[in-house]
Amino acid sequence: MKATCQTAECWTRQNRVPIGIPPAVITVQHLTKRFGSHVAVNDLSFEVASGEVLGFLGPNGAGKTTTMRMVTGYLPPTSGSVSIDGHDLLSHPIDAKRRLGYLPENPPLYPELTIRQYLAFVADIKDVPRSRRRPAVDRAIGRANLGEVADRRIGTLSKGFKQRVGLAQAIVHEPAVLVLDEPTSSLDPKQRVEVRDLIVALRGEHTVVLSTHILPEVSQITDRVVIINRGRVIAVDSPDNLSQRLRGREEVTVEVGGATPAEVRQAVLSVAGVAGVLVEQAGSQVVTARVESALGTDVRGDVARALASRWQLLALRSESLSLEEIFLKLTGDADRPSPESPVPGPESRGGA
Amino acid sequence: MRHVIAIAARELRSYFVSPIAYAALTTFSLLSGFFFSNMLTSYVRQASLADGQIERLGRSPLQLDVPTVVLAEFFKNEGFILLLVVPLLTMGLLTDERRKGTLELLLTSPVRPTELTLGKFLSAMTLVTAMFALTLPYYYFLAQGGEWEPGIVLAGYAGLMLLAAAEVSIGLFVSSLSENMLVSALGTYGVLVAFYFVDTSASATRSIWVDFIQFLSFHVHNAEFARGVVALHNITFFAGVMAMGLFLTQRSIEAIRFKRS
Repeated sequence: MKATCQTAECWTRQNRVPIGIPPAVITVQHLTKRFGSHVAVNDLSFEVASGEVLGFLGPNGAGKTTTMRMVTGYLPPTSGSVSIDGHDLLSHPIDAKRRLGYLPENPPLYPELTIRQYLAFVADIKDVPRSRRRPAVDRAIGRANLGEVADRRIGTLSKGFKQRVGLAQAIVHEPAVLVLDEPTSSLDPKQRVEVRDLIVALRGEHTVVLSTHILPEVSQITDRVVIINRGRVIAVDSPDNLSQRLRGREEVTVEVGGATPAEVRQAVLSVAGVAGVLVEQAGSQVVTARVESALGTDVRGDVARALASRWQLLALRSESLSLEEIFLKLTGDADRPSPESPVPGPESRGGA
Repeated sequence: MRHVIAIAARELRSYFVSPIAYAALTTFSLLSGFFFSNMLTSYVRQASLADGQIERLGRSPLQLDVPTVVLAEFFKNEGFILLLVVPLLTMGLLTDERRKGTLELLLTSPVRPTELTLGKFLSAMTLVTAMFALTLPYYYFLAQGGEWEPGIVLAGYAGLMLLAAAEVSIGLFVSSLSENMLVSALGTYGVLVAFYFVDTSASATRSIWVDFIQFLSFHVHNAEFARGVVALHNITFFAGVMAMGLFLTQRSIEAIRFKRS
């Protein structure tokens, strides 16, 4: 069993599909940032493929914002390199920054300007050709659903609208790369859904890197997650794979009507591949059983047949770890370096 | 160049949307007008005194002409008013970008720190030019009174513009150091007042130090322009201070990115 990938190279090596892998638009290599003796980001490497949405997940203070700022060229790294669409951010910052849209944690707005004036200014400093400035501003206003308020002063807008203006600003020059730092963290649930939908609508057009500490967001928006804690990458994978890998074994929960716990236990254990079972009487006529099997084996069909032939099979579902559990598991493990790796590698998923 | 103009235009728009531009323009023209009319009145009083002396004695001990009495004093006073107004114009230039987080937008855009520096400088200088433009009607009144020399007026304005450029570049640099407007304004006042009045600390005894301190004084250089003297060393002095201020600003913008925040 291999350990969880610490670097992008490792992940790419383990998950490489031989043909048709899109080229990396963002390449981050060995990025380190020290503030005095404090190491905020430690030897961070990852790649983002064209059109991919990468989520950066970590507790507050894990180094997410510092990473975002280094990827956008605001903060110079202590060591390491960042390449945007083939342009090195340190040696060719102007070329790299032209291909970059960035929404910092607090949207960088001028409250005294109207949305239209503001976006025209951003288009100017992002080198949108003068002849295309108006259509670019109109397009960004349309994408962010700001049509009704386009001529209002930004200072008079609500927080949700301001966040959308921040997004419009990031896409006005149609950048290859979009970096969003906690795009929904300060919003109320309704605004959060609106902004989230907007980001989902942008996928495909841009390669997106976003950071968040809101877990459901990650599984809804992103293709792949980088979990960082204390400035280090502790896992890189898709949300589904992460959940599978951390489980260590498959779990199926069944509910059966009209049987006794002992009968269910016996029936389930007689199925090939079942490693263990935990049976409970859930109601007067209902028994629930948690069926465990080795990772990569699917016993659902056999278990269903074995039970349904004799009793009523009321429910059967695969259990997967929630992101909260994954997150706590990973960040908890990172606190004490354990000699034996508790995290199984993805190759044990068998034919998946 | 497009970036410079975009940044300057954005700043000017903010100046005029906020009350800062109006407050600065109003204060400046009020103070200028007050000093100008005072000087004109005292000139007229002295002129009538001189007329009376000439009538009774055939000559007058008073040397009276518009350039020395009115214009020289006027331009020196304008320099002083400028000292009061410039820190208020420059205090927000970079301080506000830092405070609002918009510096993060500017520095992650394909904008060079030099372009940002020049754009900010240009916006403040445009506003200063507008302030001086408000004093142009005064010359209509002077022209009513008889002889006045356009050359001296031009020299006076050239001196004021150079003085303003030096002061604005210092204010711009100070504004890059803090996220607090009040700190920026007070810091700029500190530096500018020191440079403006440093000559008053020079004693009457002549020494190399007295010359040096005199050389540092904004007021001494501006006073020469105000008398109608356009000398190269005065131009180089202000241009040098301006270049130094802009250079420090550009370096300071680079340095902000290294700061932990």
